[in-house]
Amino acid sequence: MNVRAAWNGKHRRVILAFAATFLLCAWYVDLKPAGLLPPDATHWERTGRFFAAALHPAFDYEDPNTPVDAIPIWVKAFHGLFLTLKFAFGAMSLAVPAALVMGFLGSSAWWPTPCPRPLKAVLGAVYFVSRFVMSLVRSIHELIWALLILSAMGVSPLAGMIALALPFSGTLGKVFSELIDEEARAAGLALKAIGHRPLQTFLVGIFPAALPNLITYSFYRFECALRSSAVLGFVGIETIGLYIQLSHEEAYYREVWTYLYPLLGMIILVDFWGAGIRRRLNQVEGGCTG
Amino acid sequence: MIASDSRSARINELKKQRRRSPYLWISAAIVAAGVAWAWLGSGSLMGRLSAERRWTNFLNFTESLVPSPVRKSGDWGDALPWAWDLLTDEGFIALLTTVAIATAAILLSAMAVLPVLSLASRQFSRKNPFGVWSGKEDSGTSFRERIVGPGMRFGFVLSRAIPEYLIAFLLLSLLGLQVWPLVLALAIHNYGILGRLWGEVVENTENGSREQDAAVNALSTGRGRFATYATTIVPSSFNRFLIYFFYRWETCVKDATVLGMLGLLTLGKLIALSKGFFWDRMFFYVLLGSSVILAGDLLSTFVRKRLR
Repeated sequence: MNVRAAWNGKHRRVILAFAATFLLCAWYVDLKPAGLLPPDATHWERTGRFFAAALHPAFDYEDPNTPVDAIPIWVKAFHGLFLTLKFAFGAMSLAVPAALVMGFLGSSAWWPTPCPRPLKAVLGAVYFVSRFVMSLVRSIHELIWALLILSAMGVSPLAGMIALALPFSGTLGKVFSELIDEEARAAGLALKAIGHRPLQTFLVGIFPAALPNLITYSFYRFECALRSSAVLGFVGIETIGLYIQLSHEEAYYREVWTYLYPLLGMIILVDFWGAGIRRRLNQVEGGCTG
Repeated sequence: MIASDSRSARINELKKQRRRSPYLWISAAIVAAGVAWAWLGSGSLMGRLSAERRWTNFLNFTESLVPSPVRKSGDWGDALPWAWDLLTDEGFIALLTTVAIATAAILLSAMAVLPVLSLASRQFSRKNPFGVWSGKEDSGTSFRERIVGPGMRFGFVLSRAIPEYLIAFLLLSLLGLQVWPLVLALAIHNYGILGRLWGEVVENTENGSREQDAAVNALSTGRGRFATYATTIVPSSFNRFLIYFFYRWETCVKDATVLGMLGLLTLGKLIALSKGFFWDRMFFYVLLGSSVILAGDLLSTFVRKRLR
């Protein structure tokens, strides 16, 4: 069997369509290969300085006007890192319970079978509304939620946590409802057969079976929350992103790397931690939706 | 009574046999401590404003989200021409640019990930892929298993570790105000994410499945690793690859919207420009972006159903 035989007509058409779409998009946004290089001598010099700074991260502030009693830069980097973690933990602690409620309402696994017609209409309406709310909150990026909420509530740590929690609860809720619905219902059917009510069946049969997948997916979203929490710094909330932005605007590139390295290290560490949890829960991840 | 005793003894016995993982318990304790620290740790969560001031701000803000012609006339019929003007003025072009940047970026990531997955895969990089003896065990096979495979996988981890907004912010100052920094930022981040998601599809080729049988047959008849991957695993996993591709495309559209806040004409730029002065316009552009995501969501649900 050669490549031509292995790939059927549908595959080839999809690949051709993708290639044509890429060319069309590249043409529309003027994506030329020459743009991959810095445009002039100033940008070349800046690029050189930026990457050279990666080898020499700052162990002291580059700003000559820094007060003598300022905390050491590495302490500031770790302070920023802790704040980033704090927002991620806070946001996830709001998002997971909200997602559990929305995921439950947006699934049909707990509906009684057979379901009387009037009850089915009510449950169908609840199902539709919760799915729509989940889609709506996750269709707006967390940074835009942050802009809206900070404008409405003022700058505060709680506003930052809510801004992260809203889209994350929508995404988690959607995946939770799908995981619950797709969970094998054999245990549920057996419990129903011995007289359990639909809700009892859900609580002791279906939900515990889906729980390992819910945990691994929540942990994956925690990794995403960490990245988003760092980016919240760009709208004025004090996380490590704010320090990176301020140092970069002053062209203190060595300081930028001093903040970037711990951020990278923390995210990679959490990535491996999550992989360990997935392996131990012995579940194949059901994908991730952002 | 005896039956009840033996049942509880059996339950206790089963409880003792449960798998216990200190790793999971320690992880749960760390998460619990992290959550407690986030809420009870140092510093006020509420900021400096008083509750009364926050409430007034909130009321003013919600009022300013109402389209300006409606605020003047009180007639919601005036909202439609206002929205149409915003759409035809810059909104539609910004929307198209946002979608084009996201699409180009995710296709670039897919083109970069697909060829290297066989090198990154544990299944393909080991000395005996799928348990098939692959000839002489020389330093090349060892190098592939110990250096190339883990190196490629770490490359995926590294590229997805940096938030795309941060990459775009840094690249814009190096490459100037043009589209590449945005496309590259999205492509680099999604290279890592697709590498992980598609990698899992390749690694999770089940024992005894059609895909595995085809791969074993191909390797047994002397076909190389890459040729086996390209002619058996990729075509048979194509639909699952597409599902993840569409999910990441949807995310890219959302991310491209905010990347525009760094200065290029996407919806994000219009949002950033309207912020603070024209909240009603900003809200319109936010809803415009949101409607594209909802449409994308419907499209990917449709595609998934067709592919199942």
